[in-house]
Amino acid sequence: MDSALIPEGVKRCSLGRFSVWILALTAILLWGVIAMLLCWFKGLNQTNMNDAYGFALWIWADLAVIALGGGAFFTGFLKYIVGKDELKNIINYAVIIGVICYTSALLLLAIDVGQPLRSWFIFWHANVHSMLTEVAFCLSCYLVVLIIEFLPLLFENPKLDKKPFLRHLSHNMHEIMAVFAATGAFLSFFHQGSLGGVAGVLFGRPFAFREGVFIWPWTFFLFTWSAAACGPCFTILITRLTEKVTNKKLVKDNVVDLLAKISGWMLGTYIIAKIFDTWYWAAYTLPKQGFSLIDFYSNNPFYGIWILVAEIVICGIIPAAILISSGGRKNKRLFMTAIILAVIGVCINRWVMVLQTMAAPVMTFEGWFMYYPSWQEVATTILPVAYGAIFISFAYRYLPIFPQERELNPID
Amino acid sequence: MSKGSKHKVKKFGMVIDLDKCTGCGACMVACMSENNVPFKENESKKLDSITWMRVYKLENGKSFPEADICFLPRPCMHCEGDRGHAPCVSVCPAIATDYDHNTGIVSQIYTRCFGCRYCMAACPYHARYFNWRDPVWPEGMEKFLNPNVSPRMRGVVEKCSFCHHRYQLALDKAYAEGRDKIEEDEYQTACAHACPANAITFGDLNNKKHSVYRLKKNPNTFRLLERLGTNPKVYYHSSREWVRRAGDNYLKHEAAKA
Amino acid sequence: MKIDRRNFLSLGAGATAGLAFSPLPWKLMDDSSIWTQNWPWAPVPTDGEASYVDTVCSLCSGGCGITIRKIGDRVVKAEKKDSDNANSGICILGLSSPQLLYSPSRIKTPLKKVEDKWVKISVKQAVAEIAEKLKGLRKDKLSHTLACISGSSAGTVPALFERFLTAYGSPNFITVPSVKDIYKLVFSLTCGASCIPAFDIANSDFVVSFGTGLLDGWGNPAAAFKAHSILKDNKKQLIQIEPRLSNTAAKADKWLPIIPGTEGVLALGMANVIIGKQLYFNKNVLFDSVTEGFEEFKALVEKDYSLEAVSNITGIKQEDITALAEDFMKAQSPVALFGRGEGSTPGSLHEMMAVNFLNALAGNFNKTGGVYLLSEPDYINWTHPVLDDAAYYNINAKRLDGAGEGKYFLAKHLLNRLPEVVNSSKTSPINFLFVTDSNPFYTMADTKLVEEAFKKIPFIVSFSSYMDETASMADIILPNHFFLERYQDIVTTCGLKPAVGLSKPVVNPIFNTIHSGDAIISIAKALGGTIAESFPWDNYETCLQETLEAKKDVMDKELFWIDESGVSNAFADSSGKFEFINDKTRQTKPYIFVDAQGEKKKYPLTLIRFDSMRIASGYTANSPFMTKTVADTVIKENDIFIEINPKTAAEYNLAERSKALLTTPKGKAQVRVHLYEGIMPGIISMPSGLGHTGYDSYLTGKGININELIGQIEDPASGFDAAWGIRAVLARV
Ligand SMILES: Nc1nc2c(c(=O)[nH]1)N[C@H]1C(S)=C(S)[C@@H](COP(=O)(O)OP(=O)(O)OC[C@H]3O[C@@H](n4cnc5c(=O)[nH]c(N)nc54)[C@H](O)[C@@H]3O)O[C@H]1N2
Ligand SMILES: Nc1nc2c(c(=O)[nH]1)N[C@H]1C(S)=C(S)[C@@H](COP(=O)(O)OP(=O)(O)OC[C@H]3O[C@@H](n4cnc5c(=O)[nH]c(N)nc54)[C@H](O)[C@@H]3O)O[C@H]1N2
Ligand code: SF4
Ligand code: SF4
Ligand code: SF4
Ligand code: SF4
Ligand code: SF4
Ligand SMILES: [Mo]
Repeated sequence: MDSALIPEGVKRCSLGRFSVWILALTAILLWGVIAMLLCWFKGLNQTNMNDAYGFALWIWADLAVIALGGGAFFTGFLKYIVGKDELKNIINYAVIIGVICYTSALLLLAIDVGQPLRSWFIFWHANVHSMLTEVAFCLSCYLVVLIIEFLPLLFENPKLDKKPFLRHLSHNMHEIMAVFAATGAFLSFFHQGSLGGVAGVLFGRPFAFREGVFIWPWTFFLFTWSAAACGPCFTILITRLTEKVTNKKLVKDNVVDLLAKISGWMLGTYIIAKIFDTWYWAAYTLPKQGFSLIDFYSNNPFYGIWILVAEIVICGIIPAAILISSGGRKNKRLFMTAIILAVIGVCINRWVMVLQTMAAPVMTFEGWFMYYPSWQEVATTILPVAYGAIFISFAYRYLPIFPQERELNPID
Repeated sequence: MSKGSKHKVKKFGMVIDLDKCTGCGACMVACMSENNVPFKENESKKLDSITWMRVYKLENGKSFPEADICFLPRPCMHCEGDRGHAPCVSVCPAIATDYDHNTGIVSQIYTRCFGCRYCMAACPYHARYFNWRDPVWPEGMEKFLNPNVSPRMRGVVEKCSFCHHRYQLALDKAYAEGRDKIEEDEYQTACAHACPANAITFGDLNNKKHSVYRLKKNPNTFRLLERLGTNPKVYYHSSREWVRRAGDNYLKHEAAKA
Repeated sequence: MKIDRRNFLSLGAGATAGLAFSPLPWKLMDDSSIWTQNWPWAPVPTDGEASYVDTVCSLCSGGCGITIRKIGDRVVKAEKKDSDNANSGICILGLSSPQLLYSPSRIKTPLKKVEDKWVKISVKQAVAEIAEKLKGLRKDKLSHTLACISGSSAGTVPALFERFLTAYGSPNFITVPSVKDIYKLVFSLTCGASCIPAFDIANSDFVVSFGTGLLDGWGNPAAAFKAHSILKDNKKQLIQIEPRLSNTAAKADKWLPIIPGTEGVLALGMANVIIGKQLYFNKNVLFDSVTEGFEEFKALVEKDYSLEAVSNITGIKQEDITALAEDFMKAQSPVALFGRGEGSTPGSLHEMMAVNFLNALAGNFNKTGGVYLLSEPDYINWTHPVLDDAAYYNINAKRLDGAGEGKYFLAKHLLNRLPEVVNSSKTSPINFLFVTDSNPFYTMADTKLVEEAFKKIPFIVSFSSYMDETASMADIILPNHFFLERYQDIVTTCGLKPAVGLSKPVVNPIFNTIHSGDAIISIAKALGGTIAESFPWDNYETCLQETLEAKKDVMDKELFWIDESGVSNAFADSSGKFEFINDKTRQTKPYIFVDAQGEKKKYPLTLIRFDSMRIASGYTANSPFMTKTVADTVIKENDIFIEINPKTAAEYNLAERSKALLTTPKGKAQVRVHLYEGIMPGIISMPSGLGHTGYDSYLTGKGININELIGQIEDPASGFDAAWGIRAVLARV
């Protein structure tokens, strides 16, 4: 029925089957939408956030999806700036995942603020000293860039491609995509960093505070670095997941292998920097403020030293080692384990930078603050997942995302 | 510098005598009453209970009969940070909170705030409060609302303002009387004025004639979390060593600030 | 132009682009944000001219001079009055008065109970109905079965009520007792005729407090705080003796935890040390010439209060007792304070006397930093009420509470005896009850007993401004104006220098309420005859004006006068000396300090109450603001916490916040547990002032009224309630 919309030379499941799949996802989406509306109309009392936990699950999800969406900018950077041409076979997907991640991030932010109708004050009354201002500007600009990067792909839909105007537009955009990719990469380096800065500048919060250079704390650089390292892993993970769901090979191994290898090196170097950062923080920054490392990993029911080990060793050193070694990359099991661990690692990092920062007591006469999200928070956090799955389903069905799909899955 | 430019800039602050503070809570109520702070039927969930002034109960951690407690009233510290970079001020993306270099007061503009709560994450004193819900006054009780302070709406952050409107009222009065200066007792915060134990002294930390100028120099005076560089303008005084030590974080074998 | 699909789309696109570049979206965005700044459901306080009116707070017995800030005709804030007057001050409760004025639990009009439902009636109707009923009672020669419970005995309003009872023909005017009654007794027994003490804390250099809640609501709280701060400024000593690290103990230079109920023993032990070491001679060379009964007293303490015995009983180390006694006597101007907590229960007469012996040994009477013995302000000089024969006959009937006779010869009123008296007779000996300025159904110990008694009384008239527990039991309510709406003279006599202040109306009454003074005058007039004749005033205001005529100038200027004339009154008894032991006190022998009720075996723990400035436990209840300041280790949701030492908690397998069933000989309650190192093992404590069933949703149902768990213990020496706690047991649930 929708065959006119399906790209040439590829096979898609029946419309009926597709509809059932979409309906199932929509049900989850609706659950999230209800929660979202509750938050908007009844206010943030629908959440379990409180005056100690001004930042909670959403902000974590926000930081996490932006880190994971980092695959888009870094892959773009590698393809257009560094000139790794093979990556053209995965860049479309990276961009789509990026669009999903960034629109989700903005949606979460719109739910998170107490006065959504005043959100634009952040632009209108911008405070140049605030990392959040930097984030807001870069994030919005980068989303525009991502959409520009996505549009030509959209116009390649067989139906849209028939419009001469769109075809030409798409063609011309392809020509100058390098410029956008470069702009995007630049913006991304900044806003990933600013997000790191959001936590790192909090000099009233010794758990998060980091020294640094000029106006930027070390977390600025660490966030960019970790997003560049783990974002592509997420792209790979979603690609493999898509292959599993569609039961097709969509991207050739050498492409994935190249991206993974670069990720591995990024992760490896990142984790060295992170270890150095942790050591410097524990040995110099904290004692000046009267703290020792263990203060932040004891006297509470959840945040033990295990979380630091999990982040740095299990989800840092181990996946880096696997991804760097060609043997590790060749072993399918090991490879997927490494990819998943890297993704979890960056999520743990964002989690601790948000939630552990809020949980740890600063005044000597306060204790740890523990928090668990309300169902409304969980639902609104899952909402982007459902939305992403729907987005990907449509994009995969109607757009020629994977240039190698035809070659790898010939239809007779 | 504004009108009174011949005078030195002011730096309003407090010295709170913890030897005198009885933990009675009058300062908390004075503040709520002065500043139209809302209240709910259940305020026992302290993490969503708006108390610009909050009196903490500190314990020395020893067992009976060596146990000791001390009450510590905590308004906003009106941190100066490094030249006005209070932890909360520099992070606010919309300049809804600002450091006034003429008075040292950290303001909060409710109508500007869009509720991102970044400032709350930044404040180590938990001095900032979010309006998680619409404030509701039972029928009739809206009558006692103070017109000098606007009630806040849901979704914005609020905090102690050092009763800035009382400063304005004092200025207005002086202005009307043809004076360009106000006396120490003309601008007193609601909490300092109410404290039945006279534990809170408020004034211009830069003015040698004000009591706070002298009191802050007492060797038993300290500030909360000084080591973080927040540079607060609220000082505390206690003759008890354990209380002074509780004001900041120290490594196990480190001596507290002399 | 033909509109086809193509140019329709372009038109749409064009329009969209056009709109986007027009000011419209920007305007809408702006409007929406402005709308969020003026949500119609957020109140905007109306502005108006600001004014300040001075008055005197009567929310507790403190009588503080305060200033009310008004905007137009609204009260927006209560503040302390800027003045050097010792009575100028304000506490958390006084600061709440705007909230209390506009409280939803105010009674807005006179009410009558018809078939268990409240029906609004007019003031006139209410007065007429009350008068009608009272006429009937009088006709049946039962005028003495009218009783009145009044929150206070001082000032014109209580005096009008008492006068009404006299003119009507009833001796049963009963006031709510407090530590003041015991103060009066202690000093009249040992120092002479009718005097009251004023402890000069601010000028003392060594204050020993036997559980007195100097910073927990005792006396005039605001003035007590000020005195304490002066003590701190002067670097003088405060020693607190009590089983719990109260806020007062926390501020003291030394806290001596003591087994509760043994404070009197400690005092006598200290006396023994002082006498044994002849420390008093250093101060009063001519000791014998200024005291009476010293040798007998000496023999008593030497015999029964050896250091060893006292240490064993009180749990305080011998060397601590010696040091305390020595330091006390070494000080220039020491003073010993007594009366537990905020002083809402009278307590044991002998315990108070024992502590006061220390003041005598230090010879600090009428000296700076010691105890001033003053006479009560005496300014109500009305002519005697006119009595007809019926009244004359019945006012000589026996008082229902038995006060002033037999074994109760020392007491003037004994409210605590009332429930038992009512419950023990077949029909209620009280046919008609006035309740004014008090909430006895809530504040009296042993709630069950009290409830039974109140239910038995056929007719109750409440004059309460609030729907409190007692008002809910009434048949007619004639709501009083709130203090910010009325004139009244306020007499403060508790522990500090007595003062008389004048409360003035700050706003016009906002509801259809009536001044209790006017109410009682109207009822008297409606009754006619000699009763009406006894009330010659047109209304309360003229009565007050006449009464205060002589002090008009002071009142107009300062709102207060402080009576210091009474010093001469002390030691007016025959000996002219301080009498350690005399004929009257000998009648109350032997020295017995009241123990807690309950079998130790069955109830191994001891429950004590504690008072907190943040919880009003008397006639006035908490404002929403005050309840907001209460810690979540005291009240969480509706659960009340008991404080318990972690060691004791461990014995009962209780952890922080765990739920437990608390059982005393008087009742059971589910509580939560708060571990506190500041409480003696074996003791548990609970705040007073919670567990209201009356009032509004900001207070009702929060916690438990400790009076439901504690019984009364009649002090064998005085007849007053002397219970300070009760034995108890905990069980994990
Ligand atoms: N940092 C800071 N800056 C501010 C403000 C603030 O609050 N803080 N407020 C802002 C506001 S609201 C305002 S209105 C402006 C005011 O700013 P300005 O208009 O600069 O006000 P002033 O400093 O009060 O006075 C200006 C000068 O006028 C002189 N003057 C007085 N009377 C006369 C006269 O009759 N004739 C002449 N020719 N001169 C006279 C005074 O001596 C003074 O030197 O400042 C703005 N700038
Ligand atoms: N003694 C003396 N008195 C004076 C003057 C003088 O020179 N000397 N100058 C007079 C003059 S010219 C002026 S203009 C006035 C100024 O007097 P005001 O306007 O009363 O004073 P400001 O301090 O400028 O601002 C008042 C409050 O507004 C808050 N605020 C800032 N932005 C917003 C907002 O968007 N919304 C809301 N709701 N609040 C906001 C600030 O944080 C501050 O707390 O003072 C007058 N009074
Ligand atoms: S009012 Fe004064 S004494 Fe009471 S808690 Fe506040 S600072 Fe302490
Ligand atoms: S105490 Fe907190 S809110 Fe106040 S100025 Fe300092 S950081 Fe800002
Ligand atoms: S919550 Fe309001 S004041 Fe705080 S940072 Fe955000 S916009 Fe600024
Ligand atoms: S200074 Fe004013 S706003 Fe701040 S705590 Fe005191 S009363 Fe409240
Ligand atoms: S101490 Fe008593 S009289 Fe004084 S303000 Fe408080 S409640 Fe009123
Ligand atoms: Mo101005």
